[in-house]
Amino acid sequence: MSKDQFKTRLEIAKNKILKRSKISRQSSSSKLGIAFKMSTEMVAAVVVGTIIGFILDNWFGTKPWLILIFFFVGVIAGILNVVRSAKSIQDKE
Amino acid sequence: MATNPMHQFNVYRIGPEIKISNIDISFTNASLFMAISSLAILILLNLGTKKNSLIPNKIQLIAELSYGFVSKMISDTAGSKAKPYFSFIFSLFMFVLFCNMFGMIPYAFTVTSHIIVTFVLAAFIFIAVTIIGFIKHGFGYLKLFVPSGVPIILLPLIVIIEIISYLSRPISLSVRLFANMMAGHTMMKVFGGFVISLGIVGGWLPLSFSVALTGLEILVAFLQAYVFAILTCIYLNDALNLHH
Repeated sequence: MSKDQFKTRLEIAKNKILKRSKISRQSSSSKLGIAFKMSTEMVAAVVVGTIIGFILDNWFGTKPWLILIFFFVGVIAGILNVVRSAKSIQDKE
Repeated sequence: MATNPMHQFNVYRIGPEIKISNIDISFTNASLFMAISSLAILILLNLGTKKNSLIPNKIQLIAELSYGFVSKMISDTAGSKAKPYFSFIFSLFMFVLFCNMFGMIPYAFTVTSHIIVTFVLAAFIFIAVTIIGFIKHGFGYLKLFVPSGVPIILLPLIVIIEIISYLSRPISLSVRLFANMMAGHTMMKVFGGFVISLGIVGGWLPLSFSVALTGLEILVAFLQAYVFAILTCIYLNDALNLHH
């Protein structure tokens, strides 16, 4: 009877340790890497959007308009990038 | 000694000037440090795998550790399908890591602190991943730009946003590595300059900062190489297992 009790308690303790080690492993270097990823993702999309707008403006000769539109589209794409990488972290956990 | 903190990023020619039509392909200090890092990797891995003893010596241990590290990273992020691309990601990781680490030696040149170097690496990854995606999925790879369940009216806008998001990958990849390396090395140089200008009385505070920054920079050098490799794995994963 007491042996069984001990076994169940051992199982519970083992599970707890396993869970804790899993969490700590994820929170180490790979999370820091994801943080670095987020910061530039937003900026890069805005830059790409603006460049595309600039090139298209030069092609069609519609000077200020396409660059304005594509700047905001780039902002949306940047937000989408950040949301997506945040979601991928959430899915992992 | 140069007090300009940006002086360390100057690229200068070593040896004779070599020109093919209008393109200058002379050997520079950047090429020298790229060659040094590649040679160092080759020597390390050759020595590490020369005699495969059961109880590894130090060099073999380093070689095996780096192999295991990259191998685990690939299987964690991109799954078993990405195994054939191990050699590519391993050499990429080692090259960026060694370039970063050689930059930490005083008077050395940091290759990865130049955007053109990191951008060429990132653009190569981007093109390779796109080609792999098209080979694996054919024109079905374009589904990456068309998320499911989007109303037809919004579709053109969404596709443009997705394309911009896809094109921003190489830029975010290269800018991150370049900006981290350049900012860190400039900061170290600035604090070094403070030590000289404040002299023996007030120079101790920036000196201690410098020491702490050196430690931080070594961490950043490793971390950025890791991030570069892991993002390559993530992009490869997108190309191999299409899921959107």
